[in-house]
Amino acid sequence: MNLKIFLFIELLILFFISSASALVIGSDEEEIYIDANFSGKNLLVFGAFYSDPSQARDNKSDILIEVVGPTEDVVIRKKESFFGFWLNSKSVGFNDVPGFYYLSSTSEITTEFLDENNIGLLNKKDAQLIDWSALNIDWGNIKNEKEKDSFYAALIRTKESKDLYRQVNGEIDIIDGNLFRSYIEIPNTVPVGQYRVNLYLIIDNKISNEYSYNFIVTRVGIEEAIYSFSKNYPLVYGLISLVIAILIGWSGAEVFKRFRKV
Amino acid sequence: MSIYLPIAELSVNIFLLLSLGGVVGFLSGMFGLGGGFLMTPILIFIGIPTNVAVATSANQIVASSISGTIGYWRQGLVDFKMGGVLLIGSFFGSILGVWIFSRLVVLGQIDTVISILYFALLTSIGLIMLAESSQVIRDRIRRKTVKRKIHYHNWAHKLPFKMKFYKSKLYISAIPPIIIGFVIGILSATMGIGGTFILIPAMIYFLGMPTSKVIGTSLFQIIFVTALVTLLHATTTFAVDAVLAFFLIIASVIGAQLGVLAANKLRGEEIRALLAIIVLGVATKIALDLLVEPNEIFNISVIRALF
Repeated sequence: MNLKIFLFIELLILFFISSASALVIGSDEEEIYIDANFSGKNLLVFGAFYSDPSQARDNKSDILIEVVGPTEDVVIRKKESFFGFWLNSKSVGFNDVPGFYYLSSTSEITTEFLDENNIGLLNKKDAQLIDWSALNIDWGNIKNEKEKDSFYAALIRTKESKDLYRQVNGEIDIIDGNLFRSYIEIPNTVPVGQYRVNLYLIIDNKISNEYSYNFIVTRVGIEEAIYSFSKNYPLVYGLISLVIAILIGWSGAEVFKRFRKV
Repeated sequence: MSIYLPIAELSVNIFLLLSLGGVVGFLSGMFGLGGGFLMTPILIFIGIPTNVAVATSANQIVASSISGTIGYWRQGLVDFKMGGVLLIGSFFGSILGVWIFSRLVVLGQIDTVISILYFALLTSIGLIMLAESSQVIRDRIRRKTVKRKIHYHNWAHKLPFKMKFYKSKLYISAIPPIIIGFVIGILSATMGIGGTFILIPAMIYFLGMPTSKVIGTSLFQIIFVTALVTLLHATTTFAVDAVLAFFLIIASVIGAQLGVLAANKLRGEEIRALLAIIVLGVATKIALDLLVEPNEIFNISVIRALF
């Protein structure tokens, strides 16, 4: 409740400062810790928005939330049939791809709108039209445009199948006409690093206000300690794995030797 | 109850892991096999990445072969000198094997190559075991006893660099055991197996070792091959999952001891025939995965920055 009151006060202040539309953001965390039991945390994004009162009241206003994860390098491989066997053949390396991408809106947003404003990477029908300029792509020996498109599509499809790329609408709750709240599901397979949340207030199919902030995803717990230890001290890690195997193997033989004598 | 595997990067049911380790351990204790040839493909079936399955199996075999070797060593059935000569070959074989493995990972062909190797291996093991056990069952029905040769003399005795192996009562060239060790080393590093089922017949037929000393000696050398393979994988492919290995080891060591107890009480041939059918079933599943058109012909792999 305090939250709502706080937001309303802010909203009122904004109302007095300016008669134009406004967008205020609150967020419940700046850091998300992922441990072994993490089964997908819901990141709460909330805020208040205010349409321009000089405009007609029935003007359509929408909220758009975009979450972009840290970049990573991926390889997409295509299987082809060789004498009946399905083997990996062609591969394309995509560098600096967002490891996580989420786009949510109060109502369905048109492709044209997203294209015009350079938002989104999930719903473009013509993959080559996407602004992939930020990506550094190693096409190998692939030259055919159509085949390139199939790799773009596969990148998005495989990411979607792991819930790492999502586009939804109608998952933002609007409360009292001016407050919004949304829970964004972060699956436990997300990459660690800095995430950027971009919010847009859209009035009459135009971006009226926007606001961005960052949060960090960190892995914690014994499993994470094991992971980083195995990368930082591989030889020691290997030796410890061996010692564990030797001790259990040995004690197993000893325990059962006694057991058999009895 | 599920547990998150830090290197495989997925959650797996703990009881699934324990029962897998237990069953494979039981079979290996019963038949004196390492069990890696069943462990690795089943791990892949339950969704563990191929490289993690291979590297972790090697780690698990270290434990089960130590457990087994101790028993044979107490009975004086381990030829340490022969084991040592085999290891010279295995040392170089496993280095080459891990190198081949990491090249295949980079080329994106590791899954396919492992599948084909396993299909070939499991089909031959399954058919041989099935033929052998059904022969024994038929002989028993006809009340026939088969006489087996104890000692083989062949070309392995004519090569240079002859060495005396007192325990095995052999005077043979060191070259054949080194070559056998080399091949086992490659297979161990690429497939995550100890290689008992190849090593044992090779030692009997090529080296002419007495059957009684063969199992203990092969287990003894497998400890060191798989230990080396574990270290090589930990440092080059980073694919050894200590948490996965821990649960498999606990269950397989207990399973192996129970398997040894059960082996004394149960008749071998029927169970061997059953194992042969399981092995052939696994081989069929691998073949289908290779031959049936996948739903998604594209796959994605994230290149992990190594820091």
